Amino acid sequence: MTPILEIKKLYKSFGGLLALNNISFNINRGEIIGLVGPNGAGKTTLFNCVAGIERPTEGQILFANRDRTISISGKKPEAVTALGIARTFQNIRLFDNLTVVDNVKIGRHCRTRSLFFGAVIRNRFQQAEEKEIAESANQFLEFAGLKGRGEEIASSLPYGDQRRLEIARALATEPHLLMLDEPAAGMNPQESRDLMDLIRRIRDKGITVLLIEHDMKVVMGVCERVVVINHGEWLAEGKPQDVQNNPKVIEAYLGTGAAGAA
Amino acid sequence: MGNLKLQNLTRAAKIRIGLLILTLILPFFPFVTDYMLHIAILIFLYMILALGLNIVPGFNGLLDLGFVGFYGIGAYTSGLLTYHFGLSYWVIIPLAFINGAIWGILLGAPTLRLTGDYFAIVTFGFSELVVLFLTNEIWLTRGPLGLPGIDVVSINLSLFGGPKWEFVGELPYYYLAIVMVLVTVFVMYRIQDSRLGRAWFAIRDDEVAAVSCGINLLGYKVIAFAISAAFGAVGGSFFARWVTFLSPDMFKFWESFLILCMIVLGGMGNIWGVMIGALVLVSLSEILRELLPLLGLPVEVRFLAFGLIMVLMMRYRPAGLMPIPAVAAKMRAGRIKRKKVKATVGMKQ
Repeated sequence: MTPILEIKKLYKSFGGLLALNNISFNINRGEIIGLVGPNGAGKTTLFNCVAGIERPTEGQILFANRDRTISISGKKPEAVTALGIARTFQNIRLFDNLTVVDNVKIGRHCRTRSLFFGAVIRNRFQQAEEKEIAESANQFLEFAGLKGRGEEIASSLPYGDQRRLEIARALATEPHLLMLDEPAAGMNPQESRDLMDLIRRIRDKGITVLLIEHDMKVVMGVCERVVVINHGEWLAEGKPQDVQNNPKVIEAYLGTGAAGAA
Repeated sequence: MGNLKLQNLTRAAKIRIGLLILTLILPFFPFVTDYMLHIAILIFLYMILALGLNIVPGFNGLLDLGFVGFYGIGAYTSGLLTYHFGLSYWVIIPLAFINGAIWGILLGAPTLRLTGDYFAIVTFGFSELVVLFLTNEIWLTRGPLGLPGIDVVSINLSLFGGPKWEFVGELPYYYLAIVMVLVTVFVMYRIQDSRLGRAWFAIRDDEVAAVSCGINLLGYKVIAFAISAAFGAVGGSFFARWVTFLSPDMFKFWESFLILCMIVLGGMGNIWGVMIGALVLVSLSEILRELLPLLGLPVEVRFLAFGLIMVLMMRYRPAGLMPIPAVAAKMRAGRIKRKKVKATVGMKQ
């Protein structure tokens, strides 16, 4: 089985700072994979490179979209989304002034087509499309557990629901690969459990999930495989339990000498 | 449409229909003079312009200081086509719309990559360029001499054996302006509640999130700019056939600023707010024009008054008279919080 995403020898430098240094790993289709590492390890930079927000300095990112494999390094973010990679953000980025349902409707953007004349004339095509957008937006809201909240203003939602809304919006783009950037940050234990359940349900729909997370309970509970990076370098990869006991990983998190103590 | 009964309508709809009927019968009140109708038409014209400009700062969150450039282009398109070819106004409207949109794309496509203030400076430069062009290209525009004797609007039915009816006086223009405002408002409402409008609102709220929803930033900004410019040009085309005289100094930067003030005053992004902004500022300008000489002040003092109003608005109602709903909700929340803080402080004392 071909991996859905192959990251090959990826480098990214910001001036003199090497944020990503020769990172290579694969993501298999249909798995939930965790990307962990201490603060400043380059996890979000890696996300941004895959999502097209940053252009990698060197290296390749290959995305298997159904039967074709395409290089997406350096592609524009909107093109990456259209190919089937969606993401959420570490510091929630919702459309604050819009309603919850409009946020999800905007997620449908790349799968719909009407423009100015459709909007003004409201021809049959536009009406059918608008109906489809509204229906599917409500389905995604229900899937994310936000049923009946559609008319609230996005910024008025509680924190945990805002995270869910961001996931619903990302799902509305019909991705093959969903990248979640610290989805459990700031959540209480109950909310994280619900989140883990949501992530599993997303995977059961056939969507591959790549997850950055600091909350080890979530990582251990939901990920099938974990990739650890530190200082922009690949450090370890494997099953969550194995990685957790890897001396190099403990050292990266707790400092030199901690591995012996543990 | 059989269910259009009065009791089925919401309160807001009743108010709107009432206002529309009042506007339609206004000229028949005995106290209404031609001068008042003239001011009313001016208000409608600025409503069209403010609604057009509103697309860029209100819907997309981009500062546009050069809107008057498109207004000028539309006016001279209309004026020159009438002057040289005697085209009917009904043909000129779509031509002005298209010409405005073309210039919007020509200016927007290369410059909308710029962010915030830099883009604003480019638009400002553009509007100045338009004025310079209109002043100096005498072979085309007659320059500072202006373009006099533009035909009035007429409805010519002679092709079908009907009469030719020329617009004389303010009254026909009054109703023409109402129709144009209604069409503009209709288009704005339709856009607001569509895929295009949502994409714009997404860009306004968060560009990075918008792009990761698959929205092509540059593409949608150019569309916004083009449509905005097109409405500016349509406003200009009306202006040319209404006042029947054009000169380059009618399209100075001051006009852009005035239209922007209307949007800020009324509530950026809110269609009703923007129209109220136009109503308030145009009528205030006329009232002050009458009032200031009585107080022994020069009429230019009214610009000072506008400045003062904007300062006060920024201090007390930064989101405008009628903010968009989410902004209004946030402001209410802020006010409640402030009240609570005051209440707790009070209790401690």
